[in-house]
Amino acid sequence: MPSPSSTSTDTSSALPEHLDFSLRLQKRAIFRSLRSSKQQTFNAEPSVNDIATRQLADLVDGTMTRAEGNSCLLLGPRSSGKSKMVEICIDNLLTKPIILRLSGWVQTTDRHALREIAFQLLQQTGSSLLSDSDLSNVAATGSSHEEENPFLVTQGAQPIFDGSILSLPPSSHLHSLIPALLTVNRPVVVILDAFDLFALHPRQSLLYCLLDTVQNCRASAESRGIAVIGMTSRVDTIQLLEKRVKSRFSGRTIRTASHSSFESYLTFVRSSLTATTHGKDTDLAEEWHKRWASSVEIFLTDKAVLDIFKETFNLSRDLKLINRILMACVLQLTPEQPYLTYNHVAIAIAAQQSRSSYLSFPALSYPSTCLLIASVHADTSGHPVFTFEMLFESFRDQVRSSMSAPVQVNGGSIGMAFEVLSAAKIFMPVAGTSSSVAREFMKHRCTLDRATVKKVVEQSGQVNLRKWFSKAQQS
Amino acid sequence: MENIQCPIPGYENLADEFGTLISTYPPPFIYIQDTQALRTTLNAIDALLRDLSNLPASSTNPSKIYYSRVDCVASFTSRLFYEAVINTLVGWEPSWEDGCANWSAEGAVGGKWNESMDMFLHGLRAAASTCGSRIKSQSDYDVRFVIVVERAERLKESLPEIIVPLTRLSELSRIDLSVVFISQVGWEDIRPPLGASPDPYYIDIQAPSKESLYPHPLVQHSLTPLTPYHPALESLYSHFVTTLCDVCFPFTHDPNELQYITAARWPGFCKPLLDEHKRRQRKPENEDTDVDMDVDPEDEDREVLHDRGMDFLFQPSTDTRMRLNKLFNPTLSNALEALLPRLSNAADWAKKNEPPPDLLSLPPGQAHLGQSQASKDSSAAAEATSMRFLPRMSKFILLASFVASTNPAKSDIRIFGRGLDEKKRKRRRAAPKMSAKKKSAGPSKVSQRLLGPTSFPLDRMLAILGALLEENEAEWKLPSPQFTIPGEETDMDISRVGIYASVMELTSMRLLHRASPPDRLDGPPQFKCVISHDMALVLAKQLDVALNDLLWDPM
Repeated sequence: MPSPSSTSTDTSSALPEHLDFSLRLQKRAIFRSLRSSKQQTFNAEPSVNDIATRQLADLVDGTMTRAEGNSCLLLGPRSSGKSKMVEICIDNLLTKPIILRLSGWVQTTDRHALREIAFQLLQQTGSSLLSDSDLSNVAATGSSHEEENPFLVTQGAQPIFDGSILSLPPSSHLHSLIPALLTVNRPVVVILDAFDLFALHPRQSLLYCLLDTVQNCRASAESRGIAVIGMTSRVDTIQLLEKRVKSRFSGRTIRTASHSSFESYLTFVRSSLTATTHGKDTDLAEEWHKRWASSVEIFLTDKAVLDIFKETFNLSRDLKLINRILMACVLQLTPEQPYLTYNHVAIAIAAQQSRSSYLSFPALSYPSTCLLIASVHADTSGHPVFTFEMLFESFRDQVRSSMSAPVQVNGGSIGMAFEVLSAAKIFMPVAGTSSSVAREFMKHRCTLDRATVKKVVEQSGQVNLRKWFSKAQQS
Repeated sequence: MENIQCPIPGYENLADEFGTLISTYPPPFIYIQDTQALRTTLNAIDALLRDLSNLPASSTNPSKIYYSRVDCVASFTSRLFYEAVINTLVGWEPSWEDGCANWSAEGAVGGKWNESMDMFLHGLRAAASTCGSRIKSQSDYDVRFVIVVERAERLKESLPEIIVPLTRLSELSRIDLSVVFISQVGWEDIRPPLGASPDPYYIDIQAPSKESLYPHPLVQHSLTPLTPYHPALESLYSHFVTTLCDVCFPFTHDPNELQYITAARWPGFCKPLLDEHKRRQRKPENEDTDVDMDVDPEDEDREVLHDRGMDFLFQPSTDTRMRLNKLFNPTLSNALEALLPRLSNAADWAKKNEPPPDLLSLPPGQAHLGQSQASKDSSAAAEATSMRFLPRMSKFILLASFVASTNPAKSDIRIFGRGLDEKKRKRRRAAPKMSAKKKSAGPSKVSQRLLGPTSFPLDRMLAILGALLEENEAEWKLPSPQFTIPGEETDMDISRVGIYASVMELTSMRLLHRASPPDRLDGPPQFKCVISHDMALVLAKQLDVALNDLLWDPM
C-alpha cells in the first residue's frame, strides 16, 4: 500500500487488511493512555495542579527528611487528580514511609478505621522489617519501639496475623494507638480519602487524635515525622471540623483543578488519541502512524467535532467523562470504518454523557407500549396515579372502539408486560407492597414523561398506536 | 487481543465492545443496562468472560483474566456477597468435609475477609497475589479481576452501604480490577446521593431483533429413536421457529420466553409427521392407496424411489407444511397466553394441547385441534368451581361484600332504600347524567371497580345482605306466623351467629380480607372483598341476582 500523502480521501476509505492489527494496537494504546491520563501542560506558566504537586511534595518531604508533623487538605472537584497527585508524591520518595490509607467510604466508623490502621501497620512494619536488609540495624530499635505500642503488645512476640487482631479494638485504645504512630521507626503518611466523611463521625475523635499527634510530633525528639493528608471535594470541609480539631489542623489547603482552558482540554484529547503504539514491525507501524495521525488531525479540525467537545467542556470538566467519551468513540472503530468522525463522538456523547431516558427503551413489546400509552391517557385525564385495571380498561376500550385493533391481547400477556415494566422501574409503585391489596390494584406512577413515551410510540412504528397516543394530546 | 467470538446471536455489538474493553484496559466501573432480556444478557456476558478468562496471557494480552459473577438476589447479606466474589475468583469450592471453610490466603488475612468491606479489600489483594503467583510460575503476566454484579438494583434495598465502595473498588483495592453492574433499571435509579460514586462506563443492550432470534439449533441427540428432536426435522424446525417468532415476537422480546413456548409447542407440532412416518413404516406395501393428499404430486415420483419415511421427514412438502401451519397457528397465541404468565407449565400445556393421533391422515375438513379455547380462562374457571361448593348464605355474604366494597356508602340508600309499603324499588341511580354535566370541573372520576375494593364496616355489609335477602330470598321462605312485620324474619336471619361464623370462614379462605386489626375493640370490624368482578358476576348468576343493577357504577 503506498503511503497516503493525500489525507482527506483517507478517512472515508476502509482499511487495507494488513493494517487491521495496527488499528487494534492503536485502540489498545489509546485505552492505556486514557487510563493513566495525566494533565499535560504546554504553556509556559505551570497549571494549578503543578503548583499543588510541588506544594504537596514539599510537605511530604518535610516529614520524611526533617521529621516534621504536617497536615494538609487536598481540595478539588471530582477527578481533578487528587489521588493521583498523592500517589506521584509517594512514588517519588526515596525511602518508603509507612503509608496508612483510609477511606471515608469504607471505614464508616472510627472503630473500623482504627482496626484498619492497626492492620496496615502490622502488615507494613512486619514485612518491611523482616525483608528489608537496609533497615536491619533499625529493626532492633524498631521492635523496642513497637513494644511501647500497647496495641501491638497484645499480640506478643510473633504478631504475624493472629486472628485476635481482627476483632474490633475498644475505642479506649484509640488514644493510645494513634500517638504510638510516632514511635515506629519510619515516618508515617496517613492518607484520608473522603476526608469530609471522617468529619461526620461522632465527636471526630479519629481526626482529633491524628491531628493532635501531628501537633505533638515536634515535641518528641525521637519521632520520625508524620503527615496527614486529607482529600475531599467538599468545599466547606474545614467548617465541618470542631473547634478543638480545627485548632490542631494546620489549615494548609492545597487546591487542585482540572483543565482550565479549552485549549489544554483539546491538547489532552489529542495526545490521548495519538498515543504511540509499541509495534514491532517498523514499516507497518510507520505507515499506520502516518495515516492515524493525519486522520486525528482532520478529526480535530472539524468544526462540528470541536463544537461538541466545547459543549462537553462547558458542561463538565470532569476528566473521567471525556475519558469515557473517547473510549466509546474509539470502540466504535472497525476495519471498515477505521477513522474517527463526528458521528462517533455524537453517539458516544449520547450514550455516556447526555443520556436521554428513552435511549434505554429502544423497542418495547407491543403490550408494553400499549400500557405506556394508557398511562399517558390516565395522566391526561387527571390521574397520574393508576392501577393496572385502569390501564387495562382503557386499553380494552381502545381495542373495542377502533376497528383496527391490530392484535388481540388478552389478560395474560398484557399483565406480564405490566410486570416487565414495573421490574424495569418504569412503573413505580406509589406505596409499598402489602398483602391486603391485590396486585392489579396496586397504585403505580409512570416515570417516563410524555415526550419520552411519544418517542417510544414513534419508534414502534404502528399507526394505530400513534393515533391512540395523539388522542391524549388533544384533551 | 484476539477476535472475540460472539456467544449468542444478536449480541455481536456487546461482544465487540465489552470484549475489547475487558481484554485491554477496562474502565474501573461498567454499567450494563438491559430492560428486556436480562437473562439472555447475563448468559452472554458469562460466556464472553469465560472465553476471555480461558485465553492465556500473551504479549499482546498481558493480563490473565479471572472473573466472578455475583447474583444480588442470592447474595443478600454482605458476607454472602464477599464470599461469593472471592471464592469464585480464586476458584475455591467450599466442601462439606472441610466444614465448608472459605478460601484463606496463606497467612495473610486469616480467613476473616468476609467480615467487612476493609477486610474484603485485603482479601481481594490476597486473592490477587495468590492468582498472580499461580501464573507467575510460567511468565510475568498480570492478573485482572472482573467482578460481575448481576441484578444490581437489588443492592439498593439489601446492601445499600456497599454500593459506593463497590463502585470505587478499583481505586480502593489498588489492583487491576473492573466492576460490572448488570441491571434492568438505569444507573439513575441506583446511584447513591451526593455524587458519592463515580459515573460508570455505560453500555446499553439493544433488545434483540426478531431476526437474531431465529436460528436456535435443534438439540441433536438421540439419533436412533424417532423423537421430536431428531436431526431430520431440522428444516421443518427452522420454519416452525420463524412462524412462532412472527406470532409471538410482538408480545415479548425475551428469547428465554420464546424458547419456552417453542419447547411447549414443537413436540405437538411435529407429532403428526412422526405419526405419519410410523404409519408408513407399519404398512409399507399398500400405502399409496390411502395417503396422497399430503404429498405433492411431483414429489410422488421421488418418494417411490427413495426410502419413503425418512425423506418425508427431511423435506415435508410445502403443502404439508402449510397444513401444519394452518392447524397450529391459532394454538401459538394460546400458548403465549397460557405460558407467558405461567398459568400452566410447558409440559402440562403440551400434554393438554397434544394433537389427535394421525392428524395428517384425516381429511382436511375433519382435521382440527380441539379444546384450544378451553385453556384460556382456566384459572377463572377453576376459581368458579371452587365457589360452587360454598353454602348459599356464604355466596350471599360474598356478593354483599362485593357490593359494599365497590359502591360508595352514600349510594346505599338509593340502591337499597325501600319505602315501608312498596316492595318494588323506588329508584335507581340517577347519577350518570349529573356527572356528565360537571365533568369539566375536576378530573373525571374513576370507577371503583378499577381502583380496587375499599374496606367497609361489617354493619354495612350486614345491612346490604339483609336487603339482598329480603329481595331475593323472602318469597322462597316457608311462612312463619310468628313474624308479623315485613322483613322481620330477614332481620332475624342476618343477626344469627351463623352469619358471623361464615364471615370468619370466608376470611380464613381469603375471599374476604380483614382490614382492621383483630384486637381492635371499638367500632365494627372492617372488611374488604377480594374476589374479582368476573367472580362476582359468576356468583350473581348462580344466585340469580342482577348484579349490574346493584352497582353504582356498572360496566
